[in-house]
Amino acid sequence: MIPSDPEELDLLAAEHVLGTLDARQTEEVRRALPVNAVLRAAVEAWEARLVPMAGLALPEAPPPELWGRIETSLAARVPAAVRPLRRERFWKIWSVGATVVAAGLAAFLVFRPAEPPRMMTVLLTGSEQPAWLVEAEGGGLRLASLNARPVEAGRVQQLWALPPGATAPVSLGLIPAGASRANVAPGLVQPQAGMLIEITLEPPGGSPTGRPTGPILFIGRLARAGQS
Amino acid sequence: MADMNQASDGAAVILAVAAGEEGALHQLYQAQASRLFGIAMGILRDRDAAADALHDTMLKVSARAAQFDPTRGEAGAWLTGIIRHAALDLARARGREVPTDNPMLGDSLVHPEALERIAAAQQSARLRDCLAALETRNREGIVLAFVHGFSHAQIAARLELPLGTVKAWIRRGLIRLKGCLS
Repeated sequence: MIPSDPEELDLLAAEHVLGTLDARQTEEVRRALPVNAVLRAAVEAWEARLVPMAGLALPEAPPPELWGRIETSLAARVPAAVRPLRRERFWKIWSVGATVVAAGLAAFLVFRPAEPPRMMTVLLTGSEQPAWLVEAEGGGLRLASLNARPVEAGRVQQLWALPPGATAPVSLGLIPAGASRANVAPGLVQPQAGMLIEITLEPPGGSPTGRPTGPILFIGRLARAGQS
Repeated sequence: MADMNQASDGAAVILAVAAGEEGALHQLYQAQASRLFGIAMGILRDRDAAADALHDTMLKVSARAAQFDPTRGEAGAWLTGIIRHAALDLARARGREVPTDNPMLGDSLVHPEALERIAAAQQSARLRDCLAALETRNREGIVLAFVHGFSHAQIAARLELPLGTVKAWIRRGLIRLKGCLS
């Protein structure tokens, strides 16, 4: 339960940042953060207040082989803290996503053999689960939900693209509630390899600032099929 | 001045990671790994576990660099938040809520009075002064929690106070800190 009393809520945010909440309470706070702007603001303010204390920890060189391990994982995108348990599950989920990708690719090979290499990506959740398949299509983008899930009440999902080298993402519009497919018309954005595609949680009508204001729900990077 | 340059460089590198620039993540790692590993070691006191925390942090940074907004906070603080939560998650998974009188636990703790190590930047100096103004045990509890990832139960065991007292003291300390910093 996230308290509605402002002082209690502020103390919960403080304890979350301090790190004294247990796993269950922490999970509650993390689940509430995307949908509770007051809590989010309180947590950000406490992060800013307490972060200088991190200077009390003495710097220490990590094991020299760690960067190599990070690079290997980046290539495979397997979370490490949960290595032994999750790896099998990850590949199971991944194989479902990959099958969908393969199915899309097969359709492409059958029906449109003459086009240049297709670009696609699978948008992943924060826990690395496939959520949307995105394919570049005739200068626009085509999205298909792989694992539909409800959006928190009173919020919308907004689609963004960040071309390589750009510093600010471009809004591609809102994803209609409950939609399992969506299209982005050609002209809004020029799909290119390396482009980040993300979906954020935003207030009704979309981000008021023209930049993402809510948390990233799903994210992926466009790559030429067969090359990534 | 040096602080400011460092901060904007950090932000630029994270934006380069977000833009998918080759080598940007490695550059960030080289600049930040020792500081971040030290923070994880403070919380986990175990090099293998701290390496796992840093590993996961770099993967998160790679996936979510586009989420970083330089207008809402400094790059170093953003990274600090990510590694602290990664390390705290590991500490929780390792059962830190169980009270322990493991004597090893006290081996490598930061002395809570070592406040001068908090950087001299203006924001940091204010926090240092406000921490120094707290009652000793309040301050100790807050530093043990933030720097060493101690649970309420572990703080209670270390300061030899009842669990309920520790929770209330830390809350009171946090309220005082907020008042002092505002």
